[in-house]
Amino acid sequence: MNLISLKIAAPAGFGVMSMGPMFAKVLKRSGFYVMGYPEYPSLIRGGYNSYQLLISDEPVYNPYIKTDILLTFTKLSFEKEKIEENVTVIADFEKLKVDKEKINAKIIDIPLSKILKENNLKDIVKNTLALGYVAKLLKIDYKIFEDVIKETMPEKHHEINLSALKIGYDICKNTFNFNFEKKDYQNHIIVTGNESTALSAIASGVNFYSTYPMTPASTVLHFLAKYAKDYGIIVKHTEDEIAGVTMAIGAAYAGARAMTGTSGGGFSLMVEGLGLAAITETPILFFISQRPGPATGMPTWQEQADLKFVLNASQDEFVRAVFTPGDITELFYAVNEALNIAEKYQIPTFVLSDKYLSESLFMDTEFNLNALKIDRGYVFEGDKDKPLEFFPRYKEVKDGIPQRAFPGTIGGIHKTPSNEHDEYGFVSDDAKVRKLMQDRRFKKLNSLANDMPQPKLYGDQTAETTFVCWGSTKTVLLEAMKYNKDFNFIHFPAIYPINWDETKALLQSANKLVLIENNFLGQLGQVIAENTGIIIEDKFLKYDGRPFFTEEILEYLGE
Amino acid sequence: MKAHELNTGKTPVWCPGCGNYAIWNALKGAIADLNLNPWEVVTVSGIGCSGKMVNHIRCYGFHSLHGRVLPVATGVKLANHKLTVIANGGDGDGYGMGMGHFVHAMRRNIDLTYIVHDNRTYGLTTGQASPTAKRGTVTKSTPEGVFEEPVNPIAFALSAGATFIARGYSGESEHLKELIKKAINHKGFALIDVLQPCVSFARDYSYDYYDSRIYFLDENYNSNNKESAFKLAFEKDKYALGIIYEDKSKPTYEEQHGVLKEKTLCEQGVKLKDISPLLKLYK
Repeated sequence: MNLISLKIAAPAGFGVMSMGPMFAKVLKRSGFYVMGYPEYPSLIRGGYNSYQLLISDEPVYNPYIKTDILLTFTKLSFEKEKIEENVTVIADFEKLKVDKEKINAKIIDIPLSKILKENNLKDIVKNTLALGYVAKLLKIDYKIFEDVIKETMPEKHHEINLSALKIGYDICKNTFNFNFEKKDYQNHIIVTGNESTALSAIASGVNFYSTYPMTPASTVLHFLAKYAKDYGIIVKHTEDEIAGVTMAIGAAYAGARAMTGTSGGGFSLMVEGLGLAAITETPILFFISQRPGPATGMPTWQEQADLKFVLNASQDEFVRAVFTPGDITELFYAVNEALNIAEKYQIPTFVLSDKYLSESLFMDTEFNLNALKIDRGYVFEGDKDKPLEFFPRYKEVKDGIPQRAFPGTIGGIHKTPSNEHDEYGFVSDDAKVRKLMQDRRFKKLNSLANDMPQPKLYGDQTAETTFVCWGSTKTVLLEAMKYNKDFNFIHFPAIYPINWDETKALLQSANKLVLIENNFLGQLGQVIAENTGIIIEDKFLKYDGRPFFTEEILEYLGE
Repeated sequence: MKAHELNTGKTPVWCPGCGNYAIWNALKGAIADLNLNPWEVVTVSGIGCSGKMVNHIRCYGFHSLHGRVLPVATGVKLANHKLTVIANGGDGDGYGMGMGHFVHAMRRNIDLTYIVHDNRTYGLTTGQASPTAKRGTVTKSTPEGVFEEPVNPIAFALSAGATFIARGYSGESEHLKELIKKAINHKGFALIDVLQPCVSFARDYSYDYYDSRIYFLDENYNSNNKESAFKLAFEKDKYALGIIYEDKSKPTYEEQHGVLKEKTLCEQGVKLKDISPLLKLYK
């Protein structure tokens, strides 16, 4: 396998976060497999932003610690990055006031500012010029880059950027020493997790999305708002998360397909809405992208520590479904399934992402839109002969599931209270009614567990070590598996409710289990212990705000 | 349809003499007078004595959470703006917990009727001070008297941009019914702050108290003048009843929404949508 780790670094506000995905597209169209990983502080200007592009001639899923080519626009890189002799550093050394004699690496010094001045071009196209240089270094066809610029940038910026790009190509006289087999990836797409989520929401018929912006979930809001008019969606940025969730509940109750999205802090506010959705049996999908820390924590960094919060949030007990997809493709289908399950079972459902999955760029074959479906469950169509009769909204129709009647339906009049209630929705604290309702609602669990995706084993069945993971850690292990076949892993694409008997058997078939999670306590391990009695002693946990890098897995395995 | 046909057969559990009975009758009367189809009316409430209103009107009803009446009602209206959505809340519910939502619902000018049962106390939790209780009011939660200034709902609504602001009184049920009818017919956010005696806990604000201080706005009152409306809002020890302010010129939130121009969201249905043009952007 061939792999180049290219890192672009600059102060925030320099355009690194848009240059990364743009260049990734150029690389993909040039026949490379690409993965992109951004790191940035919660700052609008200054600080240190970096975008790592992993370029390979076979699927690449996860970031690395190593850098092969560093294109930097900031002096800070020389403090932040591990720069060794095999690294190629491309920079305007004079402008950065860095003494290149003191850098022990391969140096490519380009006087970017000087060149731009000579060509009467503004300094803002410095990054395009430099990327043009890197593109030529990687033997990329100029036409491909030109097309991508024309497609992704507003027209008024084309001329100046293309001039800079041309200069970048012209001044590059050497090529990077590599020999990749290039492939045709036309049937592949390259998207972030949040793009995958938003694309699935649109395709799956979500027509109501209301929330308050919170990193790293905000880009789902932005994406849906951008395409709301084209696809007939009401997207509402509300006054707070409480309004976000309760407005979505109101809309779902009235017949919309509703979803909300946030991170842990926003979900803290939404929890009372979660309970309201549960007792009123209003279907709603919560998309939650995790980040580290209680309260404000580390807004732009990685952690997977909200699992138990999501599993247990709200007072009392009720049925919910929690999906923990591992990559962009699982995410895409999980959003569709979670929406269908929400409506079929009339319960709140969750799709958990995290900063790493939400904001990194992943390549995969194009989503199969034919695999999507819409299941709205039992909906009462109306009865014109009984316009004023009360409708038994909370009476079981099948398997604990009642029938919904949207306001406006003739003959469907009922009540929908946040209190415990009888089958018409009238408030009741009668002991028999309470028990009847609670028993009925929990009956949904029986068939629901079978509708959920079950844990799956990846790799050689007989491997010595079996990692146990959930969510985005799947991609970490898939990447590491290219180098080491002595391990396999069990991934949980959903955690509740699942078939624990089968899961227990799957766990028991392993030689040695190791829990791997981006949190301190090993939360999946606790859930497994609770449901199977299996206690996984060995834990490989990381909670420094970064995802697992590929080298770290290999080091853990003793390489 | 007659007002009594809107009963649900459930006996209200409000205290004898509670102002809620009058609001209940006025609301049923307004729905009946306007000839609305009960299946096209949704009442949404928060928590508290006002919240129980949902149980007693034969139409769709969503009894939500304390303070969350307006976002839930907004969601219902946006999903199906052909429905008549009537929100009921209390002063604790809407001017305390739900104050943030109140301001933003008014800014949005969403087409809702919002009836606030303003009894200046938390009745269902046995009589603590509410945000509209006067300074000095001694209650179980304020043994030394309320230190804060009371919320002035009318002035508040005027500054937040509500397009219909009225004051009613549960001692004047017929007048209140007419106000509710006008509020329902108003295109945009309509607030009716209802002076409602709580006979069990807010004894300082009895029927006697209000009867001697209320007066009706007459035909000469220009309800389209914000300045005179503000004057009324700050009147001392007098309570003007009627439409204090109305602006018919502002578009509603849903009228401005491109997605809702031709059909309601519900009429557009939930279906799979072809995202292949979007996927091309990621190739």
